[in-house]
Amino acid sequence: MAAYNTIAFHADRCDGCGDCMTACARAKTASDSPRRARLQVLADGAGSFGLAMCRQCADPECVPNCPAAALRKNTETGIIEWDQAKCVNCLLCTVGCSYAGIVLDEVAGHVVKCDQCGGDPACVRTCGNGALEYLSTARIYNEVGALEDLFVPGLAGCQGCNTELLMRHTLRRVGPDTVLAAPPGCVPGMGAVGYNGMTGTKVPVFHPLLTNTAAMLAGVKRVYKRKGREVTALALAGDGGAADVGFQSLSGAAERGEEMLFLVIDNEGYMNTGMQRSSCTPYGAWTTTTPVGRESLGKSQDAKNLPLLMVGHRCAYVATASTAFMTDFYAKLDNALQASKRGFAYLHVYSPCTTGWRFPPRKNIEVARKAVESNFVVLWEYTPEAGLKLTHPVDDPAPVKEYLEALGKYRHLTSEQIAHIEHHIVANVAAVKQQASAQP
Amino acid sequence: MLKSEITQIMVMERTDYLIAGASHAALAAMHAIRLVDADGSLTVVGRDRKLPYSPTALPYVVSGRSDSNLVFLRDDAYFALARTSYRCGHALVRVEPANRIAELDDGSRLQFGKLLLATGARPVIPSIPGFEAVPYHVLRTLDDALRLRAELPRTRHAIVLGAGLIGMHAAENLSKSGARVTIIELQGQVLPGYFDAEAAAIIAGAFERDGHVTIHTDTRVIAAEAGPQGVVLRLQGGPPVTGDLLLVGAGVAPVVDFLSGSGIRCDRGILVDASMRTSVEGIWAAGDVAQAASFYDARPVLNGILPNAVEQGRIAGMDMAGDRTLQGYRGAVPLNTYSYFGRHAVSVGSATAPPGAEIIVRSDADAERYLKIILDEGRLHGIFAINTPLDAGVMWQLVRRRTDLTPLRDRFLAQPREAGRALMSRLWR
Amino acid sequence: MSAAAPERGFLVCDGNEAAALAVALARVDMVAVYPITPQSSLVEYLAKFVADGRLQAELVDAEGEHSVLSVLQGAALAGARTFTATSGPGLAFMFEPYLRTPGMRLPIVMSIVTRDTLTPQSVWGGHQDAMSVRETGWVQMYCETVQEVLDTVIMAYRVAERHDVMLPVNVCHDGNYLSYGTARVELPDQDVVDTFLGAPDVNWHAALDPERPMAVDPLTGGAGGAGPALFVRYRRGQCAGMRHALDAIREAHEEWGRLTGRYHAPLIERYRMDDAEYSIVTLGSMTGAAKDAVDGARERGRRVGLVKVKTFRPFPAVAVAEALRGHGAFGVVDRSVDFAWSCGPLYREVLTALHGITPAAPSQSFIGGLSGADLTVEQFESVIETVRHLRDPGPRDTVWLNAQE
Repeated sequence: MAAYNTIAFHADRCDGCGDCMTACARAKTASDSPRRARLQVLADGAGSFGLAMCRQCADPECVPNCPAAALRKNTETGIIEWDQAKCVNCLLCTVGCSYAGIVLDEVAGHVVKCDQCGGDPACVRTCGNGALEYLSTARIYNEVGALEDLFVPGLAGCQGCNTELLMRHTLRRVGPDTVLAAPPGCVPGMGAVGYNGMTGTKVPVFHPLLTNTAAMLAGVKRVYKRKGREVTALALAGDGGAADVGFQSLSGAAERGEEMLFLVIDNEGYMNTGMQRSSCTPYGAWTTTTPVGRESLGKSQDAKNLPLLMVGHRCAYVATASTAFMTDFYAKLDNALQASKRGFAYLHVYSPCTTGWRFPPRKNIEVARKAVESNFVVLWEYTPEAGLKLTHPVDDPAPVKEYLEALGKYRHLTSEQIAHIEHHIVANVAAVKQQASAQP
Repeated sequence: MLKSEITQIMVMERTDYLIAGASHAALAAMHAIRLVDADGSLTVVGRDRKLPYSPTALPYVVSGRSDSNLVFLRDDAYFALARTSYRCGHALVRVEPANRIAELDDGSRLQFGKLLLATGARPVIPSIPGFEAVPYHVLRTLDDALRLRAELPRTRHAIVLGAGLIGMHAAENLSKSGARVTIIELQGQVLPGYFDAEAAAIIAGAFERDGHVTIHTDTRVIAAEAGPQGVVLRLQGGPPVTGDLLLVGAGVAPVVDFLSGSGIRCDRGILVDASMRTSVEGIWAAGDVAQAASFYDARPVLNGILPNAVEQGRIAGMDMAGDRTLQGYRGAVPLNTYSYFGRHAVSVGSATAPPGAEIIVRSDADAERYLKIILDEGRLHGIFAINTPLDAGVMWQLVRRRTDLTPLRDRFLAQPREAGRALMSRLWR
Repeated sequence: MSAAAPERGFLVCDGNEAAALAVALARVDMVAVYPITPQSSLVEYLAKFVADGRLQAELVDAEGEHSVLSVLQGAALAGARTFTATSGPGLAFMFEPYLRTPGMRLPIVMSIVTRDTLTPQSVWGGHQDAMSVRETGWVQMYCETVQEVLDTVIMAYRVAERHDVMLPVNVCHDGNYLSYGTARVELPDQDVVDTFLGAPDVNWHAALDPERPMAVDPLTGGAGGAGPALFVRYRRGQCAGMRHALDAIREAHEEWGRLTGRYHAPLIERYRMDDAEYSIVTLGSMTGAAKDAVDGARERGRRVGLVKVKTFRPFPAVAVAEALRGHGAFGVVDRSVDFAWSCGPLYREVLTALHGITPAAPSQSFIGGLSGADLTVEQFESVIETVRHLRDPGPRDTVWLNAQE
């Protein structure tokens, strides 16, 4: 069964301004009357808002309640379509809907419902608060889901690890005409490159040194470019190899504008080899080389902001992403893939490590989400043409304590250390925003 | 067992699921089965030699609003895609539960794994002396509708017997086509069961003003005869009424006669439990033919409305296919939406207020606006509206979920639509 | 930088330009470069040739030697003929991918413009850099003249790419003396080189190509299962490739001589050895001065000969043993140090090659020409005199040339 795009309503961001209704009325009725809008923002009397709008139900109740076959669910778009020629105006459809998603427009004289404006909803465009969001997640399932999974089954990641998810989705999207580099780390560690003469993927894959991923890929890509063959050079690297010992070759390739897609899976340390510190390990974090003892309490330096450093290279594309925000990730993956055809594309994905960060496997996505919602991780994208843009601004961040408390690696933190982290978050957000305000 | 009997059984057609009937309940059941069981063989038997359609659409075929070629709810491609054998033009004439065999009117016999009886209802013809000798119309099939539609242009004075939804729709159609219309209703108001007397009076007023329709309530027909001007109905305590067209809209009754001897328990309809199971294992019933518990007092009731048929059909289909997400039937709630002469009326729930119920009525007869809310212990018991926008689906949910409205009573009473929507939006999330 | 060389015929150039010309003639697909003294002018020539369209190769100006060789590994796995050059500290920085190249059986050709290694800080010639990587599995050939630099770089591709070899090759030419020393060289015709080398076929065995998906170099080994035996197979294969390289080098030199008339000694050169009663063994550009000294000694009636080693890896042990057997004492002049044995590394190799041959010949290790120091005819004359007086097999302390201010 296909999946469909949908309009999501984030009640916590709605201030009840009603602009969406006006926009809808204008788009659909050539009037400004919010009463005629096909979505209705509803004050609940307690200061927050609800929404009456067609949910484009998967198994809709309105459709079978129509005696005249005037309603059907379009299996291509997922939209429940209303056919004016067939409608007899009996309003029985409204009996089927629990959410007032199909209602009588007394001026028009018939029922009306949301049709998502053909994929570019006027309401979403108008909403300045981000309360309405057009989720194109369906594309992930339909398009990417139809693509071949190019990794072998049975990669051996830790329980709850979402790196495997990221790898499989990425390679599906990037496709078979790819040369994949998997430098030492969790990616080859779970079997992506294979063992003893056997491969872990259906695309050509290699295990570069921890230090030379970008350089080897550059060599590969240059040759195919010279031969006139369209081949994507893709790296699935860890933060340690990218930010520390591999940073020189990464920086060199970025400066030269080597055409590749370099994806860093940032789990904040050398997790595959036993959870040692990297320069991406945050302040205060326990690792096996920043242990907690009488004399020290975890890492005593802040993490290097590798993606911002990549912006300093004026790469063709730089973005940060999170495994909790897959729609955002997919959009960026697409952008990065396109950019990799004309230059160096860098995608930095924050990926919590259940084993190394000390939290229950079931909470991985929740941890990733908390990191973003507390501004511990900031999601943005950059091109030299458009500059840096926040893709998921969090203006009212959740207390970072909630995030820190979810992770065993921060269990020892003192209040001074937490204050340091809070301060660092503010400074980091400011640094990103400063970059965002800079002219491209 | 004789060898010939064995042979007979072996060549007998077999289907895992047999659905008798081809309207809303049947189609909802079929859909629910296929959501869970993609492979089981499925056969739908429809009485009409047509693709499935809804009786509810028929008044609009009569009025011409619906193209009779476009009212079909499914097409052949749908049945092919659902790998379902659709046999139209056949009716069940006998069920042998012991052998799980159903016999069709062409004598063919089908062995079934599970059977759904969604055979619907047929119009009730009142037992009035002389009635068998006069021509009259009913409106239950597409052919009925087309016959009636053909009569409209030459009808000058029509008599509609019964002020239910069918009768009222027909009266409006006839009136709009230029005929003089007389409605005769046995009970004291139009649309009994859906609206109270006050609301019914508002509706009747619109018919009289806009349609010049004459409405006789509390009126019994004591005889019928054919006269030179057409049909003459003699009324108790009043002058006879003559018309060149007579439409009978005196309600419908479940079709159960073919079940005699089957062991399936029937009252007025086929008695079913909360999963739409009949008294006989392997056999379900849903829709107009079924008699399930009332939402209000658990008494088995007929609830011959479209949304009810859809719900019962889905429940039956889910149960037949073993869908473990099934939630049992919560009981029949009378409800309807009704549009007439440009007005809109909505009725959800029982108009019979229980003792101690809070009844709020806001009525403006001149503006033809009416709103009645019945709250029982803070929960919505019924709500009825004319020309007052209301989301019937939202109200139905509030009734059936027995949502406690106490915390927002005032808001609900002031603005039931807005309050109901906000509530459902929150419940959804 | 000299004017662009003519397309054919003769020209006067230094060893760095000669190597660059050879790269152009070999129609290399990709060069990756990082400048370092005394190699810098070589990569400048390459960049200029690319800029002028004379060398139609991808040029990667990498950010360091580590990436230089890494780029070439990727390119070779994608099917490219590749070249780079480095020196001393650059080679040291390159070591991680350098160490890996032979195992991946990538026929990359790299000039080592030899330089002494730090520390003491030095920017001048010496073989210590190349000698430091002698156990990594690369083929190493040392050139004597500018002409040999040009010819050997071309021949190196034929050796490296032979299917029973498939190993990277270092063509070593001495920093300062060959890198900057100019000489008249003969330039082969392009079609001769094309015939000699053919089209590159470098990734038939291991490729990064979506049309032939495979895992290149997954983890191999472990305590049990198929891993250990597979690992042994790869290692033994490398040794076989090295053995085959001896034959490939001989064959390449033979064919090159046939095509150009220039016959260079492939593994070792025997110079006036036929009746020699003692001899000296040399490596690289010092050989010219050493031959002059031998000629002078001969004129004085000394029956001295010379063996020049060209191919140091794989070590031509049989040829060396045959050349020295029965010719009495020998002295080996090294331009680098074997710290383990306090002698020259070539000396140690020669001793090993002669192991078991009786009677054991008297021998002496000489180390000179470090960090740019000149090795003169006079020094070789003194070497010859020292060897002439050797009587018993040793052991002896190494003689350090250039030790006096």
